[in-house]
Amino acid sequence: MKHSASSTFAFLFLFLIFTGVLFAQDEPIDSAMVDSVATAVEEMVPVNPPKPAQLDIVQDNPGDAGSSIHVSWILSPDDGAGDNDVTSYIIYRSESPTGPFEAVGSASRGLVEFEDATTTDGIEYYYYVETVAGDDSARSSISRPIKSSAQWFSTKDIDTFIIGLMISLSVIFFIFAAQKGKELYLRKIAGLEAVDEAIGRATEMGRPILFIPGILDMDDVQTVAGITILGRIAKTIANYDTKLNMPVSRSIVMTTARETVKQAYVAAGRPEGYSDDMVHYLTDEQFGYVAAVDGIMVREKPATCFYLGAFFAESLIMAETGNSIGAIQIAGTAMPAQLPFFVAACDYTLIGEELFAASAYLSGEPKQLGSLKGQDIGKMIAMAAILIGCGLFTVASITNSESLLSLANTFRSIFSAS
Amino acid sequence: MNFDIGIWIAAFLTLGIMSFLYKDNPWYKISEAIFIGLSAGYWFVSLFWQNLVSKLWDNLWPALDALFTRGEFTGGLLYLIAGILGLMMLMRLVPQIGWISRWPLALVVGATAGLQFINYLVSNGVIQVYNTITPLFGPVSEAGGIAPVTDVWHGLGNALILVGTFTGLVYFFFSKEHKGFFGGAARVGTWFLMITFGASFGYTVMSRMSLLIGRLDFLVNTWITGIFT
Amino acid sequence: MKRTVPLAITFIVGTVLVLADFIPHKPFGNLGDDFSLYFDIIAVFAFLLGGGNLIRVHLTKINRKRPDWQFSIVTLVGFVVMLAAGIFKISNPEGIQGDVAAIGSLFNDLYMYIFTPLQASMFALLAFFVGSASYRAFRAKNIEATILLIAAFIILLGRTPFGLWLTEGLTGDLAFLQIPNLANWVMDVPNLAGQRAIMIGIALGVISMSLRVILGVERTYLGQDSD
Repeated sequence: MKHSASSTFAFLFLFLIFTGVLFAQDEPIDSAMVDSVATAVEEMVPVNPPKPAQLDIVQDNPGDAGSSIHVSWILSPDDGAGDNDVTSYIIYRSESPTGPFEAVGSASRGLVEFEDATTTDGIEYYYYVETVAGDDSARSSISRPIKSSAQWFSTKDIDTFIIGLMISLSVIFFIFAAQKGKELYLRKIAGLEAVDEAIGRATEMGRPILFIPGILDMDDVQTVAGITILGRIAKTIANYDTKLNMPVSRSIVMTTARETVKQAYVAAGRPEGYSDDMVHYLTDEQFGYVAAVDGIMVREKPATCFYLGAFFAESLIMAETGNSIGAIQIAGTAMPAQLPFFVAACDYTLIGEELFAASAYLSGEPKQLGSLKGQDIGKMIAMAAILIGCGLFTVASITNSESLLSLANTFRSIFSAS
Repeated sequence: MNFDIGIWIAAFLTLGIMSFLYKDNPWYKISEAIFIGLSAGYWFVSLFWQNLVSKLWDNLWPALDALFTRGEFTGGLLYLIAGILGLMMLMRLVPQIGWISRWPLALVVGATAGLQFINYLVSNGVIQVYNTITPLFGPVSEAGGIAPVTDVWHGLGNALILVGTFTGLVYFFFSKEHKGFFGGAARVGTWFLMITFGASFGYTVMSRMSLLIGRLDFLVNTWITGIFT
Repeated sequence: MKRTVPLAITFIVGTVLVLADFIPHKPFGNLGDDFSLYFDIIAVFAFLLGGGNLIRVHLTKINRKRPDWQFSIVTLVGFVVMLAAGIFKISNPEGIQGDVAAIGSLFNDLYMYIFTPLQASMFALLAFFVGSASYRAFRAKNIEATILLIAAFIILLGRTPFGLWLTEGLTGDLAFLQIPNLANWVMDVPNLAGQRAIMIGIALGVISMSLRVILGVERTYLGQDSD
């Protein structure tokens, strides 16, 4: 329906004529006559195109792998205002300014941008935007030539890059500073202090030690952490000549763990004590694995159980069964959802970060311990950032200062990672 | 009586697994044995069809074909590297050259370290800091997309989150002794961590219950009811 | 040669992948996905080692008549049957080209009637174990355990109608003390704070460990004892 005054007037006028004709005649309405009147109405009402949107920015998307161009425009004056009859915008593209143009996408009214993700890098494209209002449309002017390309550096990630660099440099700095003999204090972690005692207990009781490296594969950082800790513990186990039983649920973990334990026995001077059977594969299936581990626990009755790695729901089943056989249990995981179960059921639990620090702790090597100090610096950076940000926002809120607010927002956006 | 062998087997195995709660027994042992064998087989079949066939074979075969029949180098040849790494892994079976299996392991561990470095930095580090930066107190204000602090309670809540995050981080400090003020802050941090653990614990209890209910429903409504209908 | 090449591989691969996240240009932009693909393929080959170990362990047990050797037969039979059913697509109505888990195939039947009930039953055991863990936690001996217990209780009750019924009487200004509201507050405030502290700690732990692995400071996974 055309809303402009002139068209309404014209329509009313013709309607009156039509009605007059209707009532003046005795014979029934002729459909052909109705059609001809309708056509007359259409031809009489002038076509009223919408005012076109203007192209604003057309550019290659920054920081991407190519093949996309960003097109944005200023809303047509008839969108949400004026005649308010705009229904959509259609974006056209061509490889030459004279055409032929083809439609590559559309946006509904009220929107001002479109991503063309079908471009070929290196080819210059020309765009225009067509504003559509019902059957009428109007075009914007044609853009300058634009081509898409893949960037070598993603500028939007530079904040993350700098933060990562800062933390990395502090870790690396302390690794090398500690090497030079700087004495480093480290607080005691109960679970790690108890490792030797736990292994000793198993030796005395003549019962095996059970080591579970989690149920994920070597492509998970927690499993890597678990295996590095295994390397440390295995040396003590080799020295004490205690039995080790390590059932695993992934084949790559089996291979890695065998290498690790074998070398630990070699380093302890007891290569003949090692057997490939210490590390054996059960099944990849989460609950099948834990069913088998439970079976091992109740039949072999290990005196000490280590659970170090990534776990899911099966964590509680293992920990509770271990409890029922009276084993000392030392657990460590970075899965926040499983930590409560380990805390509730095990004697000692390494919480999150402590799992990753454990290997460094157990090694006692200055380089490794130095990296822990670097981690602490990272924590200080995080704490400082939070304090500064909260402080800025709070003061800006209280004083209602626009400039402080924008400063606070800018600071916060450094950590937005997008 | 409805005798659907599938349901009877399922009931047998369900009860077998549950008998473990009483103590280890042959019923559990047989259920466990079946589970291990079947699940190991299941996983290998999945790996075989999804990884070996659809990923390696379907990509490598056309690329090799293109190479040997037409001398073309196509992207699929990169899968050759994956195949070679896999074979290197198998060299573990040959004692003399078993050391070569360390190469794919080194690649896996290095790649994991590299990829997870950034993943965790962003999702666990940077974004968490971003979310914790909020105004603590102040009159109503549109503080940059953050929900405005409309009342004292909201502000106190934000302040409490700040204190909890702070003291929690203090607890994790390795290079400082938990003594004095620092120790006190670490203790408070422990309390917040305990609340977190308790909340997670309470949250999951109900979902664990629903799993049990599911099994009991099967046993009673499907199996036992099936016996009498 | 045996030691340095793997360490070099770890260093190069690790460094490249850390930087690759910032370089959208091919081939760096896709390296993360490429690695996942390579890993999946390596995992299949590795499974030959794992599956071989499974067979060897159980065969040895049967041969030497170790305790419970009869059950090893069951395991091996189950393994072989499932393998055959899946790889040769036995009784698959769609034939060898069809989906391995097509309904009506032996593989699918084994999965539905044996595998799934076993899995669900193990999962269901958790209800009992949660109960026993909670029972032990009830005997809270120190302040930390008490806090854990109280928080668990509030959240647990808050998610049930019982919790609402208990504190229905608290209205108006005290409405926030109604257990479901209290539970929500605990989840949104102190729980969130603790979660964030744990997560930030984990991020730093991963960064530090990744750097140690990449720089070769941590080498136990290669079976080397650091010198």
